[in-house]
Amino acid sequence: MEFGLSEEQDMLKTMARDFLTKECPKAHVRKMMDDEIGYAPALWKKMADLGWQGLVFPEEFGGSAMNFRDLAVLSEEMGRALIAAPFFSTVMLFGLPILQHGSDHLKREFLPKIANGEMVGTLALLEADGDFWADGIRAKALKRGNHYLISGAKMFVTDAKAADYFLVAARTQATDDPENNITLFLVDAKEWGVYVGKLKTMDMIRKQYEVTFSNVNVPASHIVGELNGGWQIIKQIAVQANAQLCAEMIGGGDWVLETTVAYCKDRVAYGAPIGSYQGLKHRLADMYMELEHARPLMIRAVEYVREARTDAELAVSMAKSYCADVYEMLTNNGVQLHGGIGFTWDHDMHLYFKRARWSANSFGNPTYHRDLIASQLEKQLL
Amino acid sequence: MADEKTAKLEAFRKEVRAWLRANLPKGWGTPEYKVLEGFTQERHDLGKWWTKKCYEAGYTGFGYPKEYGGIERPREEIMVIREEMARTGTPGAPSSLGLLLAAPTLMAHGQEWQKKRFIPKIMSGEESWCEGFSEPNAGSDLANVQTYAVRDGDEWVVKGQKCWTSMWKFADFGILIVKTDLKAPRHRNLTAFIFDTTSKGFERRPLRQMTDESEFGELFFDDMRIPHANMMGEQGRGWYVAMTTLTAERSMGGEQVVSQQGGEIRLGSGVDNLIELARARKRFGKALWDDPVYRQKIAQAAIEEDAYRSWGPAFRAKARKGGASLGATLSFEASVSKNYWAESRQRRAMLIEDMLGSYSQLMSGSKHAVAEGSWVYEILRSRGASIEMGTTEINRNIIAERILGLPREDSAKKAQEK
Ligand SMILES: Cc1cc2nc3c(=O)[nH]c(=O)nc-3n(C[C@H](O)[C@H](O)[C@H](O)COP(=O)(O)OP(=O)(O)OC[C@H]3O[C@@H](n4cnc5c(N)ncnc54)[C@H](O)[C@@H]3O)c2cc1C
Repeated sequence: MEFGLSEEQDMLKTMARDFLTKECPKAHVRKMMDDEIGYAPALWKKMADLGWQGLVFPEEFGGSAMNFRDLAVLSEEMGRALIAAPFFSTVMLFGLPILQHGSDHLKREFLPKIANGEMVGTLALLEADGDFWADGIRAKALKRGNHYLISGAKMFVTDAKAADYFLVAARTQATDDPENNITLFLVDAKEWGVYVGKLKTMDMIRKQYEVTFSNVNVPASHIVGELNGGWQIIKQIAVQANAQLCAEMIGGGDWVLETTVAYCKDRVAYGAPIGSYQGLKHRLADMYMELEHARPLMIRAVEYVREARTDAELAVSMAKSYCADVYEMLTNNGVQLHGGIGFTWDHDMHLYFKRARWSANSFGNPTYHRDLIASQLEKQLL
Repeated sequence: MADEKTAKLEAFRKEVRAWLRANLPKGWGTPEYKVLEGFTQERHDLGKWWTKKCYEAGYTGFGYPKEYGGIERPREEIMVIREEMARTGTPGAPSSLGLLLAAPTLMAHGQEWQKKRFIPKIMSGEESWCEGFSEPNAGSDLANVQTYAVRDGDEWVVKGQKCWTSMWKFADFGILIVKTDLKAPRHRNLTAFIFDTTSKGFERRPLRQMTDESEFGELFFDDMRIPHANMMGEQGRGWYVAMTTLTAERSMGGEQVVSQQGGEIRLGSGVDNLIELARARKRFGKALWDDPVYRQKIAQAAIEEDAYRSWGPAFRAKARKGGASLGATLSFEASVSKNYWAESRQRRAMLIEDMLGSYSQLMSGSKHAVAEGSWVYEILRSRGASIEMGTTEINRNIIAERILGLPREDSAKKAQEK
């Protein structure tokens, strides 16, 4: 397995860093925190011109035919910049499942629009209990001829206000086995009966919403994957999303460490730079040590997903739980080592602190993943 | 004998409970009660009203002589009052800082008239205080304050700026540490004053915190005048006044404020609430309280809380017995409690986040927020605990160097010599 980046990936990284520094500086991100939809369509279009939204789509759908590792290179830079754009939702939670499980017809209809920057999409999955499991999905889709009527209340839907389409998980059959009665539907956000309600969340950049569907009409042709086969797809979405989330966390973690190291070299107390005190040196060294162990776990997870290995899920759970813990630790220390100023709104550290909390608690928190890991390890022994 | 004492205390507990039931705001503790948030006039007034009520009932104001408005009560009864208040939660003091730091500082360094004038109104909650110590370039290195005061007849004229000042907004008075001597060596060039926030030349502005509120703010002094009579301690001895204040606030666990201040209430009654949360929160349909992972962590939180609470009495016993021989190191022991408080509180916040899962993102004011977002607020606010009142690092240095007697760090030593 290759842990390093290829020449092309290096170029992609540099290009992304330069682009985001120029087009999505913190001043822009902060403006978008208070913005109704949370992103600037002009930026979204520029990203599409660079081929980002369609990075991993085949050329026939307007994509650049690059791979999952390449995508992680972008994710890393976006995590570092705290990009204010619905990229994670549109690509990981919406585009990829259509690419992997959509009918030819759906792929032709949706993928080029995503790649062109004409469409924003997201996943409407979790419900009231907030847990990632099939039983938590109670939304229903009732068949009416060639259509379905979807009803239910979805929680924690990222970027819902920006979304043109939702990928909605709903039950299509009354059985005792929730893992075999869920179907994924593509639902037009403008459809009658769709209501988007804002949630006031800690991370104001990646916004979350409550979305209710009340007898929303969806054509049967908008089913993604097999009827009643949704849960397997959802699990795959989570594995992929978590792998990319790890890349984001590493990118954010790099910013936190670099920024904190720079501050500790610069800030003077008791007549010397605070970084000259061992209490802080050791903390910074610990931060680096943890980050450098989280990074390879992330790369392995991404590569295993790219290769579609059977143990990808285990590698992703390990990376997710570890990267999330490390990112939280890094941002805790980032705030701490900045002292009073680190506790302010005006310093950017809290934006990373809050993103770390969102990342840790989306698609299963570290405790949840350690549980999965234990079960998987047990299975390997049998 | 012991039985009689217990019975008496239990009767007293009933009395306190009945009093709380009768006097807490209507609906207090029920889901219908709208808890006030943020640093608003309304909440400040509520705290003021509540403190006055408690004071009149003899339920606050302990540990101070009668002539300064103190209220005397057997220690056991005070514990009962605190326990009961922690159990129900209370609207809090208007500015707990008066109690936490101004009163102890006044007791140690205040002139007689200052003690008589200021302490009673702190006890009764009528007047609020703030602590104007930190500046942009003097936080951990407090001795580096640049705010400057010059004598002009019977007054001092102050110029400069303070920052991160908690409870800045409604403070009636503040303790100010300023430089009064440009030539004297470090630690000998500072003087402490009591300043009135209605003075001319004084201005205050909010600073926005990561919690999206302005508990702390900035103070500006543009030739603000302070009467000479308001000096606390001697001229040039301000550093030692500041140390008293810091020691007082760092040892809050052992003293007065425990049952008065919002944050401490949460730490005080936290374990019950944690269990309640763990019972209510389900993961995969199963209550977290039935999951050994969370049972372990909550049990640990309970241990830490008891250890934290026991520190005060244990410290007092140690001080009583070995006070003289322990000498100067005794005052540094507050750092032990302060760090324990901050770190235990932060560990607890991480546990809360873990238990809330997806819901750990819903802030106060959001639809579906758990307990009006108070848990989530704690995830953010607890990070300040290891910065305010001396950072965790500084307190660790104090423990290592001042109590354990380890050699000073080189660069710190050099700065001392400067
Ligand atoms: C919520 C909150 C409320 C506050 N309320 C008040 C108030 O009411 N009144 C008031 O006067 N101040 C208040 N403060 C300010 C607080 O006391 C200072 O922020 C704190 O002392 C740190 O100072 P600083 O911000 O200048 O950070 P710095 O001193 O610059 O410290 C930055 C980092 O360096 C570390 N560091 C510094 N020196 C050393 C060393 N020698 N060895 C190891 N590490 C070191 C610190 O621990 C910290 O991590 C408050 C702060 C907060 C966060």
